[in-house]
Amino acid sequence: MMTATAIQGFTQVDFDAFLALRAEEPAWLTTLRKDAWQRFEALDWPARNEEEWSRTDIRLFHLDRFAMPTTSDVAPPLAPGLLTHDVDLAGQLIGYNSQAATESLAEEIASQGVLFGSLDRLVIEQGDLLRPYFDREVVNRSKDKFAALHAACWSGGTLLYVPKGVAMEKPFHALSALGDGGIDLSKTLVILGDGAEATLLTETASTSETDSGLHCGSIELIVEPEAKLRYVNLQNWSKGVWHFAHQKATVDRNATLQWTIGALGAKLAKVNQEVALTGPDAEVQVNGVMFTEGRQHLSYNTHQHHQAPYCRSDLLYKSALQDRARTVWRGMIKVDVAAQRTDAYQRNDNLMLAPTARADSIPGLEIEADDVRCTHGSTSGRVDESQVFYAMTRGFTRTEAVRMIVAGFFQQVFDRISIESVRVALGEAIAQRVQDLDQPTPSAN
Amino acid sequence: MPDFIAVARPSDLSDPGSLLVEVEESLIVLIHAGGQFYALDDVCTHDGGPLSNGEVDVAGCTIACPRHGAKFDLATGAAKTMPATKPTLAHEVKVEEGQIWVRLSGQD
Ligand code: FES
Repeated sequence: MMTATAIQGFTQVDFDAFLALRAEEPAWLTTLRKDAWQRFEALDWPARNEEEWSRTDIRLFHLDRFAMPTTSDVAPPLAPGLLTHDVDLAGQLIGYNSQAATESLAEEIASQGVLFGSLDRLVIEQGDLLRPYFDREVVNRSKDKFAALHAACWSGGTLLYVPKGVAMEKPFHALSALGDGGIDLSKTLVILGDGAEATLLTETASTSETDSGLHCGSIELIVEPEAKLRYVNLQNWSKGVWHFAHQKATVDRNATLQWTIGALGAKLAKVNQEVALTGPDAEVQVNGVMFTEGRQHLSYNTHQHHQAPYCRSDLLYKSALQDRARTVWRGMIKVDVAAQRTDAYQRNDNLMLAPTARADSIPGLEIEADDVRCTHGSTSGRVDESQVFYAMTRGFTRTEAVRMIVAGFFQQVFDRISIESVRVALGEAIAQRVQDLDQPTPSAN
Repeated sequence: MPDFIAVARPSDLSDPGSLLVEVEESLIVLIHAGGQFYALDDVCTHDGGPLSNGEVDVAGCTIACPRHGAKFDLATGAAKTMPATKPTLAHEVKVEEGQIWVRLSGQD
């Protein structure tokens, strides 16, 4: 009898053992994984002198404290997540440490040709259908060492495939959880065929507030002509999790995407979020809601790439920061020569709840077409003490006053989010965190 | 309040000299200057660059950020020169039993 070699880290031996556990995968996928593994081995970790990494310090990140995902971790009972309160779901997937734990999909939805569930399983069952989408390489597998690592060793993950012309009323939900010291290399792949419509809510969680962990993931959203996707991803790992992600949507002719990102957790997050508008009249709205505290560091690189004429993209990121938290937002709007009549907008607002927090906003434009409208802006401000004072004279406590100001700050982005359960979940999660302001900080200086 | 943690031996640092150490989940630059030991966050508040490898000025009791030259007070972390305007975090240090001990501040 063969005994499988135990996976202990990220060596060639571990990678071979990892592949051996996936012998059922299609040969083309194994080839992709092996190519990516070679690139992973050849690439260096990002250096501080690279512009994109100059504000994000990963010297404390040690990959060797983690190991490639196996298939043997048993999920403990998990909390249901924040996004689905009172929501009637079309299907649900719960994953733990990069493996699917439970999956469900309503029969009447499956019968319309919709695929939803563990990407691990579906890539085996539907390899021929999915191969062209992998071949498109929506996220560049060689972008950096993290992208290569993910492409080689992705595991678990979520697939939503909605065939041409099928419109899904009820949302789908996926929750990825991490245990202490766990690893999540999951990949999210969403494919909406021509004229299809769907909503997918995804979120992450840890089994405890202080768990350590590593997520190195990707999100690929493929929105074909005339399709409509609403996609939400809420990052709610514990404050001990390293979060590295490459996320990209490609949105074709007359298609629309509303993409909402919430970020509450992680010790350090470095996320590249990209939207490519590839066909005329495509429309994308990106909403970002971030709340950071303690010594969290969240770094987002956003990219709105207009490749075709008459497209609209509109990005609004709002962050509130307390304690010694830090955010970095670097936004780029790129307009190709072909993309005449582009209407593109990007904005980042930061609300500083402590003088020791820090937010850096670096917007950028790169425009090659001449008939376009591209605007950007960013603001950083503190809580207005006169507003706090005014509210306190009206009988509110200081915390209540600050919480109202924070809620007001986020209102503009909440107004854009068209899914009620998401607005409520984000609003409540943020209000709970602001509550801590009244407690004296144990800071020694 | 966090405990003191042993991070290095006095003989690991020349005078003047500095050493980058990992304490719990923080990167701390340990500095030896004029017979004293100091500990600062390895973060320059101007643009987030690392302070380690910065030049230590014993007389002025400062370390200079290698990127754009901002100077920070070794004992308090105060920003002494442009382009930094905000302090970096200073930590308590003691030498005992042949070891240098650091107690992290600002653990929120
Ligand atoms: S980063 Fe230190 S002076 Fe600019």
